[in-house]
Amino acid sequence: MAEEEVVIEVDAVQAVYGDDCLVLQSYPPHIQIHIKPRTAEISSQQFVEAVIGIRAGPQYPEEAPDINIAESKGLDEQRKNHLITGIQDKACELSSCLMLVALCEEAVEMLSSMNHPEGNCPLCLYPLVEEDAGRDSLPFMKLMSCFHCFHCECIIRWWNWLQSEKEVIPTNLSGPSVRGSRSMLNQRSVHAAAEESTGSCPVCRKVFHAKDIEHVLDLVGAHSQLSSGDAKLNEDENLTELDSEKFRREKFEAILKLQQENSGLIEPRKNEVLLPGMFLPPPIPETTTVSVNETTDPQNTESNVRAGANSSGSSNRPRTSEHRNSGMRKHRGRNPRKQVKQWTKKETGNAD
Amino acid sequence: MTSSSAPSRKALSKIACNRLQKELVEWQVNPPSGFKHKVTDNLQRWVIEVNGAPGTLYANETYQLQVDFPEHYPMEAPQVIFLPPAPLHPHIYSNGHICLDILYDSWSPAMTVSSVCISILSMLSSSPVKQRPADNDRYVKNCKNGRSPKETRWWFHDDKV
Repeated sequence: MAEEEVVIEVDAVQAVYGDDCLVLQSYPPHIQIHIKPRTAEISSQQFVEAVIGIRAGPQYPEEAPDINIAESKGLDEQRKNHLITGIQDKACELSSCLMLVALCEEAVEMLSSMNHPEGNCPLCLYPLVEEDAGRDSLPFMKLMSCFHCFHCECIIRWWNWLQSEKEVIPTNLSGPSVRGSRSMLNQRSVHAAAEESTGSCPVCRKVFHAKDIEHVLDLVGAHSQLSSGDAKLNEDENLTELDSEKFRREKFEAILKLQQENSGLIEPRKNEVLLPGMFLPPPIPETTTVSVNETTDPQNTESNVRAGANSSGSSNRPRTSEHRNSGMRKHRGRNPRKQVKQWTKKETGNAD
Repeated sequence: MTSSSAPSRKALSKIACNRLQKELVEWQVNPPSGFKHKVTDNLQRWVIEVNGAPGTLYANETYQLQVDFPEHYPMEAPQVIFLPPAPLHPHIYSNGHICLDILYDSWSPAMTVSSVCISILSMLSSSPVKQRPADNDRYVKNCKNGRSPKETRWWFHDDKV
């Protein structure tokens, strides 16, 4: 088949998929397509996605193109293989026809049929979705940045633990009275969860925002404690003005820059960023809309969340998050929060 | 790390029990290669046999790891030490304490006994030399009275081994 026809086909693919299509070479065609399952654009219902590479040789379309998966989320090896094999089968079936769009559509179909979380909750190791439909499954949630899924209860338990650890560590050095005060600290810790604002995924350590799990917080009856964040906010502001804090941040900025230059950081793709102000470059209207959708959608769709969550969440949110955004922007660079915490400890610790 | 872990030996929470039972079953079905765990009644302490990987400095050598689980496992990391004699390794002290970040600051509740074992074996396998850490004597002296390694403020300085 003539070269022009193939080139025209590549143009067509690009027209159909727009930004989701990356043409690496127009002849012989080599393209990458970012595919998502059909979920009517409801991102909280999306548990898998993939970037599929299609690379054709000069014999295309007589010879089927190579298919590979460049990136994926929520797919284990087995499901990735299933996806590749499925697309390859389709390619053989369509041999000698121009097939690029058809292959992409096949990929979307397959991904839609695989659009459910699989396996166990990484925290309790029990299945996320019980096979036996008769039994009640625990509600689960996914982190929007990496698509790792957890039982709501498990991730909240871990989150609260983490917050209480943060509170305990400084006092721990001074004396043995720590255990007793923990229960009291728990209330503050939930509160702090809203203020501290980031954690990292237990599975991949990708940083996520407190808002990511806010919609499940009230599942454990903690939501009411999230209100009235003003006193704490002032504390935060004072903290940022300290010279030592400034110095510390500059140091981390420098380290981060070094890591970035050495390609030591795995950063989220920009259009997947969840929340305004997290990693975003100066706001582009389009991405803002996306992130707003993503943060509110889980509340609308997850059946376990009380209907009140949405309204109570948004009524006290905007003020504090606006404040924080301006604060966060300064040290947005040092996003691997956990690391920061470690570094502080290393510095104070003696070198054993 | 909090001091709540090892010495007092609080009983496992319900959640910790459930999770450990799951891990035990998974281990029996699919043990990490190079490791043997003899199942006992004691869910809270596992003693695991490690075989040095073929082709490394520790090939044909066998060591024993002792894994103690805290009340709030897996939120808190398990305490993992080598039982004597501990392998000669730049990050393993003669009292069996292991300087490995995932056992302390970098612990994540998504890790399992199995994944920890694999990390330890990998640490052993990548060692270019059989020797004790430079500060071994000082450290071991400071650890008298069976202090847990989780109370040490570790300084992870070497990412090569």
